[in-house]
Amino acid sequence: MGRAIVVTSGKGGVGKTTTTANLGVSLALMGKKVCLMDLDIGLRNLDVILGLDNRIIYDIVDVASGEAKLRQALVKDKRFDSLYVLPAAQTTNKDSLTPEQVKTIVDELQQEFDYVFIDCPAGIEQGFLNAIAGADGAIVVTTPEISAVRDADRVIGLLEQHPLDDQPKLVINRIRKNMMDNGDTMDIDEITQHLGIELLGIVVDDDAVIRTSNHGEPIVMDPDNQASQGYRNIARRINGETVPLMQIDDTKESKQSFWSKLGNLFSKKD
Amino acid sequence: MKAVSLKGTKNGYELVLDEAASFTDSIAELTDLLAKLDHDYPTKRMHLDIITGNRLLNDAQRDEIHRLFANYKHLLINGISSNVITIAEAKRIRESENVHVIYQTIRNGQEFTVTGDVLFLGTIHEGGKLVTSGNIYVLGSVHGVIQAGAPNSEDKFIVGDLHTAQQIRIGEQFDIVADKQIKGSFQNVAYVNNLHILDYGKIGELKQINPKFYNRIGGVQ
Repeated sequence: MGRAIVVTSGKGGVGKTTTTANLGVSLALMGKKVCLMDLDIGLRNLDVILGLDNRIIYDIVDVASGEAKLRQALVKDKRFDSLYVLPAAQTTNKDSLTPEQVKTIVDELQQEFDYVFIDCPAGIEQGFLNAIAGADGAIVVTTPEISAVRDADRVIGLLEQHPLDDQPKLVINRIRKNMMDNGDTMDIDEITQHLGIELLGIVVDDDAVIRTSNHGEPIVMDPDNQASQGYRNIARRINGETVPLMQIDDTKESKQSFWSKLGNLFSKKD
Repeated sequence: MKAVSLKGTKNGYELVLDEAASFTDSIAELTDLLAKLDHDYPTKRMHLDIITGNRLLNDAQRDEIHRLFANYKHLLINGISSNVITIAEAKRIRESENVHVIYQTIRNGQEFTVTGDVLFLGTIHEGGKLVTSGNIYVLGSVHGVIQAGAPNSEDKFIVGDLHTAQQIRIGEQFDIVADKQIKGSFQNVAYVNNLHILDYGKIGELKQINPKFYNRIGGVQ
């Protein structure tokens, strides 16, 4: 019996879908059987990030309404045999599913997979209630922006009202080290302490995340990238390993000191 | 033992309904008694306190007594009183006089409503709201909206460090904290002054701020 984890945030654009995709691929890399469920009905894009949008035949609404079998709707990943996506419907809206239908599908998937990740839509309406219906645990994704932290706070409050088996855990995404160091954004400790839930991991902001997503190749496929390492660490923690919080290496950041620029200048001449 | 007895006191007349008698008997005797009073003193105006002892009358029974009295213009009911109250009423009273100790995080979008006084040890996040009908004593941290004396009692106050709050509300008055210079101190008291404006003082000035409360908690005059 696998674990079902909903990835949610309240605010849009903080990286729920990217996180879902990358955690799914990381766990698949570790040899786990993983299913990713896209519940952002009407605005599906989990399949796009994974480069699987051309393989969709049926979607979750077809399964819920009984027009297709679950097995028919699952899309197998082109890289891993153990990674599957259950795509969202494009033609209807979030009200076309009920929490009971979602729960039935999640329960069925849990029989077969080690991990079921549920990609929650932004907002706290019906789509959110559907997404948390079948979940055992939740990952709350936020960024160091104040608006994202506020919405995360709201969502944690709602999760406390609809308690899941496991306490929600926090992922801080799109961290920009130089802004955090300058005090322009809240730092990791501040956010974690404010929200009062356990920190599951951090992911730095990296242009490569968007670049790779645009090619349908999740960033975790690149083992040397910092954001990729952040996701891989989170995946290992979900799998029960103890991994220390990564130190953010800022040599790749654009803001460099005068001396390091000077150093670079000389080293280029060699 | 009679089911209904009429007594004179220095404050007027008491009509005692025996708690052990059946209500039907009481009503029958009361009917006779009122008829007799009316016959003996047809013009004398009498105000009667009805005392039911350890019995609680329900609404229908009260109505029945009121209907009996309605027949006589000069016989009036001062009030119906009893030694006992319902459990629900007792709970309501206890609830409203109890100091509730609250230790929880009120998050963005959550509203926590309480009746009575609150000792607040938790955290109110930005966008969270704590609302009570009584006073609030804050030992936790407040980054949201805090309201005492809801919906409209202006004799309530909030003690504690409120300089990080978004709004302070007492009764119908409110302050946007960012627009005010409120010092960060656990000794602060927010209250409504006699100009109906939110004002701030120190715990030491409680006697001037709210003499009623000061006396209730046993402050030395």
